[in-house]
Amino acid sequence: MSIIEIDQVNKSFGEVSVIKDLSLRVEEHAVYGFLGKNGAGKTTTMKMLLGFLKPDSGEIKICGEKVIYGNARTNRYIGYLPDVPEFYGYMTPKEYLGLCGEITGLKKEVLQRRTVEMLQLVGLEGNNRRIRGFSRGMKQRLGIAQALLNEPKLLICDEPTSALDPVGRKEILDILSIAKGKTTVVFSTHILSDVERICDSVGILDQGRLALQGKVADIKNSYRKDVIEVDLSSGYPIDRIMKLLKEKPYISEITSNDLRLHIQLSGQEKAASQVLRFLSEEEVPLLRYEIMEPSIENVFLEVVQ
Amino acid sequence: MRAFFVFTKKELVEQLRTYKSLILLSVFFLFGMMSPLLAKLLPEILSGMELQGMKIEIPEPTVLDAYGQFFKNLTQMGLLATLLVFGGILSNEMSKGTLINILAKGLPRYTVLLSKFTAAVLLWSASYGLAAGVNYGYTEYLFENTAVHNLGFSLFCLWLFGCFIIAVILLSSTILSGNFGGLILSAGAIVVMLILNIFPGLEKYNPITLASKNVALLLGTATSADLTWNVVITCLLTLGSLLLSAILFHRKRI
Amino acid sequence: MNAVTLDQLQEYLPFLIPIILVEMALMITALVHVLRHKNYRFGNRILWVVLVVCLQIVGPIVYFTIGRGEE
Repeated sequence: MSIIEIDQVNKSFGEVSVIKDLSLRVEEHAVYGFLGKNGAGKTTTMKMLLGFLKPDSGEIKICGEKVIYGNARTNRYIGYLPDVPEFYGYMTPKEYLGLCGEITGLKKEVLQRRTVEMLQLVGLEGNNRRIRGFSRGMKQRLGIAQALLNEPKLLICDEPTSALDPVGRKEILDILSIAKGKTTVVFSTHILSDVERICDSVGILDQGRLALQGKVADIKNSYRKDVIEVDLSSGYPIDRIMKLLKEKPYISEITSNDLRLHIQLSGQEKAASQVLRFLSEEEVPLLRYEIMEPSIENVFLEVVQ
Repeated sequence: MRAFFVFTKKELVEQLRTYKSLILLSVFFLFGMMSPLLAKLLPEILSGMELQGMKIEIPEPTVLDAYGQFFKNLTQMGLLATLLVFGGILSNEMSKGTLINILAKGLPRYTVLLSKFTAAVLLWSASYGLAAGVNYGYTEYLFENTAVHNLGFSLFCLWLFGCFIIAVILLSSTILSGNFGGLILSAGAIVVMLILNIFPGLEKYNPITLASKNVALLLGTATSADLTWNVVITCLLTLGSLLLSAILFHRKRI
Repeated sequence: MNAVTLDQLQEYLPFLIPIILVEMALMITALVHVLRHKNYRFGNRILWVVLVVCLQIVGPIVYFTIGRGEE
């Protein structure tokens, strides 16, 4: 079942067209990374999902229900973490979660249980200080706690890690990894390593268009570039082997950097193993031989020119 | 309905913890106490002093002087304090972004407005009631012959005007963005009403008359019938401001 | 001021005391807040201390309503 269905949505602010004919699906229990440069339209898309912005045309459905601008009943399925969540500084985390739970009409016992669970999940249990003294990272964690309080079917996070230091980022990613067992997670980011760590699907947004989407594994497969990297031990005449390799029909390009060879295969069958066989026949002293995996970063840079 | 009570409770807690209650209650309490005392003491202090060798003769203060002080304090400093205390109730949340989490949870926007209005009117009423009560008690104690006309109605007029101002603040905050949007535009609205009151024909309908004819009512030179239109129009404008702010707030990009 | 007014002041002392107490309470609450916080929406600590202490009633109102900063 699709949790999010976006159909041919357009949105512009004044003259500037921010989202152009965007259609995408997010399946249940996915961890969907929403990638794009700053200004690509990620936040705009998320705000439309929440009914905070009105699409100029097109339709958005959450759990099969249409999102209505200004009064989005569909928000009951959603937990939302804004990029920089702001809280009432005069409340304690417990009071704040209490307010959130009461607004959504959680029963008292359930609310108490969930509050304790959530504060434990984000590591703020036993913290009875007022929120005004909290650090960025603590606020972000409290933001996740309030978003997950109602056990939403969909958790939307807008750049949850961008403003944090490495430790804070790791904490947030760990919490999201735990959350993904129970809910569908959609999060926008421009930090590609975060996507590789926890996402199973990605959508890459470029200038308001969906440039690419799919499962991370599929994308990596289709963008596999058949590149081999070889490290030689020092003292070996690297120019000689380069010359020899260049003549082989199964190699299209070869470059070197110090003792490292960067070999682009021509795409012929068994090209990789032919390279290996040739190297061993020539008794080239190998330190490392690796078939390169395309990283999301390479895919991203290629797609987003 | 449940969400309304929850959010109103949050507003009341906010008033308490951000010193809004403390400020407004204590300031209005001071006005309630000071007004009759000042009316009573001022002539005595002045008459004890000699100005350029001349004794100042001031007639014995009456209960009207006490109420005159009271309404003067409340319509000037009191209104200013009210404006300052409530000026940011919506603007601050909008510019800080604290409403985003709450609205994302599906709380209707008109509930936010209604809760803010209710909570502000509650604090305004409590503060005003305290000032009026203390003032009444002290006036009764300090003055003889405390009979005045239309006391209840005169007090009601200023109370209603305060409620109207709170609605104007909410409307202003939905029109003008920024931390002080609500405050600046409401202050502007009051200035406009003051200017309009220069035209004698408009006085009958202008809400601000509710805050300027209070002593005349006590004197009996104005009657409640004279202010009927003002009361009706102010009630309508209050409701209209709330309605319009709900519509504008609904359209506001967050 | 001559002796007569002092006498009268004494007569009204029971009324003056609560006024002074409330004013002092306002001032002290505001003063403590000014001294315990570093950030103000505008102005600096010295300005707010002076305003709060010297301007009775008005100083604390202005401080708490528009001067008080977030954290």
